[in-house]
Amino acid sequence: MKRILFLIAAFVLALGILLPARPVAAADPAAVITSLGNEALKVLGKNVDPDVRVARFRQLFQQNFNVPGIARFVLGRYWRLATPTQQQEFIRFFTDYIALVYANQLAEYNGETLRVTGTRPAPDGALVSSEIIRTDGKPPARVDWLLTPQSGGYKISDVIVEGISMAVTQRSEFASVIQRDGGQVQGLITALRQKTESTGAH
Amino acid sequence: MRERLTTIRHLRLVSANLVIVLTAIVSGCASHPQSQQPGVAAEEDFHDPLENVNRKIFDFNQVVDRHVLVPAAKAYRAALPERVRDSVHDFLNNLQEPLIFANATLQGRFDYARDSAVRFVLNSTVGVGGLVDVVGRWGGIPYRENDLGITFGVWGIPEGPYLVIPVLGPSDPRDISGLAIEAFGDPWNRIVSGQPWNYYWIPYVRGAVSGIDQRSRYLETLADIERTSLDYYATIRSLYRQRRAALVRGEHGNLPPNPGFTQNVPAAPASSVASTRSPDVVSALQDGAGVSGQ
Repeated sequence: MKRILFLIAAFVLALGILLPARPVAAADPAAVITSLGNEALKVLGKNVDPDVRVARFRQLFQQNFNVPGIARFVLGRYWRLATPTQQQEFIRFFTDYIALVYANQLAEYNGETLRVTGTRPAPDGALVSSEIIRTDGKPPARVDWLLTPQSGGYKISDVIVEGISMAVTQRSEFASVIQRDGGQVQGLITALRQKTESTGAH
Repeated sequence: MRERLTTIRHLRLVSANLVIVLTAIVSGCASHPQSQQPGVAAEEDFHDPLENVNRKIFDFNQVVDRHVLVPAAKAYRAALPERVRDSVHDFLNNLQEPLIFANATLQGRFDYARDSAVRFVLNSTVGVGGLVDVVGRWGGIPYRENDLGITFGVWGIPEGPYLVIPVLGPSDPRDISGLAIEAFGDPWNRIVSGQPWNYYWIPYVRGAVSGIDQRSRYLETLADIERTSLDYYATIRSLYRQRRAALVRGEHGNLPPNPGFTQNVPAAPASSVASTRSPDVVSALQDGAGVSGQ
């Protein structure tokens, strides 16, 4: 009896380890964007309290975006110049900052839906094109998502709106901040912290 | 973001003569280059050798924006219902179509040229002189901005150093030249300010209304970007550069009055993705992919 219980326990444990490793939808880039996009439009809409919206956005960002990869990219050559502590600090405040910036910009949305219009291969990943269908009859908004494979699924590495890459924009701005502070990464980290604290991203 | 550029684009008419003077001033500055931060600027190249001067002009423009453009845009929005403002917008867009047609043709983008011609003919007639964008709203052919700066880009002329023009905002030698030439070449301005009317003031009114129209559509978006930016100047510079590069690549589209999203050209075939992206976006894609595997 004890032996059977042990076997069952071992089986359940093994199942528990093996099964959740590969989320079903994550294998298809288009499905990732469809589900994420519609969830985002739903939970981040107009009638949500701003603080709640930022918190929800932060969660979605951490779950679905390649945060360490994006952080490295936007810091550019300064990533290597930063100490490991600074790198960790940067990732933390950068995440807060992104939540603050983009949660705000999504505040205007109310009842829109997202439709994937196509998927193209991109260097080591996929570029998913989507349209955000508006409720007011205005032309749909077009957004491209760069997805890269990661741990059995896909994570978003960049969002490209009308040919404008959010990652490139962020990198350019951060490089400018660092340069104007005499090439010190710490200056950027401090600026990010102050920005998120003063505007209440926490 | 782009709205600022569009504002600028439409202010061109006010500034036909001003532009030449200002370009001369800015070029004058260019002949006395500012000393750059040694070593640093060379590595992350913003193509902005006049940054010190540009930032001063940018600050000046911010003051003008805060005290003139924004209050005017707010008053405009408060005074007129949305339907009327949409008509003004459609009417002004329609006036741009002849130049858009010419530029699309010069770029060899004949599908865009045809779309522009169809839009102009139908919107000017069925759309009551352009007051209603019937083709965009019910015909599925959206307004696609185009200008001589884009044409120069398609022809392979480089953008050159980043410039901030007083009142007009972000530009570069290529775009400001296109702007200046178009200001003289605009057919409506030539007609109303020439014989027999001599209404020389009409182009200025058109420019002012265009500027207020554009600014009123992006009050929230720009305020948001400014509030959340660490370096508003650097953000605008990057957005301007990327947006212009996208337009040169042919990713035209109208910008709906909401957080900077727009309709766009149909997806390119997979093989042409890399070649149609600007170098920095390509490197972004590659870098983004490179770091993700770790």
